Amino acid sequence: MLPMRPELLKGHLDALLLAVVEGGPQHGYAVIEALRSGSGGALDLPTGTVYPALHRLERAGLIRSDWETVGGRRRRAYHLTPSGRAALGEQRAIWEQFSTAVTAVLGRRPWPAIT
Amino acid sequence: MAGDHLTSQPAQVQLEAYCRDLAARLRGPRRRREQILIELRDGLHHAVTDRITHGLTETEAAHAAIAEFGTPDAVADAFAGELGTAYARRTIALFVLTGPLVGIWWLLLLQPHPWRTGLVALLVAIPVIPLLPIAVATAAAALATTGRLIRWLPESSPRQALTATIAIAGAVLLADLTVLAVYAGSNMPTQPLAALAITASLLRITCSIITLRHATATRHNLSATSTEGPV
Repeated sequence: MLPMRPELLKGHLDALLLAVVEGGPQHGYAVIEALRSGSGGALDLPTGTVYPALHRLERAGLIRSDWETVGGRRRRAYHLTPSGRAALGEQRAIWEQFSTAVTAVLGRRPWPAIT
Repeated sequence: MAGDHLTSQPAQVQLEAYCRDLAARLRGPRRRREQILIELRDGLHHAVTDRITHGLTETEAAHAAIAEFGTPDAVADAFAGELGTAYARRTIALFVLTGPLVGIWWLLLLQPHPWRTGLVALLVAIPVIPLLPIAVATAAAALATTGRLIRWLPESSPRQALTATIAIAGAVLLADLTVLAVYAGSNMPTQPLAALAITASLLRITCSIITLRHATATRHNLSATSTEGPV
């Protein structure tokens, strides 16, 4: 699958990142990998997009980060907060409504030509 | 790479040079910059490990991981917004927290019993008091729209947060210069309290000037790199 242009994700990146960390603590590169593998390669986002977005979500209180030491190296792992879980639920409902509406319009067959 | 450390020196050199270049380009609070570097270093390590697992040599893997992360300039530009916001929030919080430590000395010096003399006399003695609610409201709005309340409030961009920082530093500078001028124009006898108040204001004037210069430069750089928030 071809990688999707980052600008197409405008407004949805927060929900995608929250969904990735919903399953348990993840470090930044694991989040990038999870987006890539979970989308079959379509969501191959640059590092410069994902890490600052994670920091912004933490600033908003939707995720929390903890530092741990693994193999002598410090690692930052992100967890979903209760506010993040609530925000993810809202985002899912919005996305379902949006995707249903867009699919209903884009999925239509063309009108038969008038002869 | 069998363990947690690279065994190839060229690969280590590549990664270290990359992190050094990136460190030189990040601008913002020191602790935040250090955290970003530690985090990216860990991410690079994972990216290299993945590629070695897929059959690349350590040097090839390091090269590919660096290419995936992007040039130091691109990564620094990507973090510029978050670092700018972090700088703005920290600076605004410092102004709010230290404000009473400066103001109290001037209040005790210029109008020690404001509840006896009334508001008009207080405003005559300390004419900068109307700036106080404006600065506090600006600070509260900037902190609220860049922090946890952004789930419900419109989020301020890094440029807007820096603009608020510039406005607050400007108001504080104006307030300090005004009270110093008021004191210099009065015939008050020299007293230890005055020395405290003047010292506190002079320190804060220095901080305000540094803040004005730094916040203006950061805001200008943000305009040049156009990092106005996430995708």
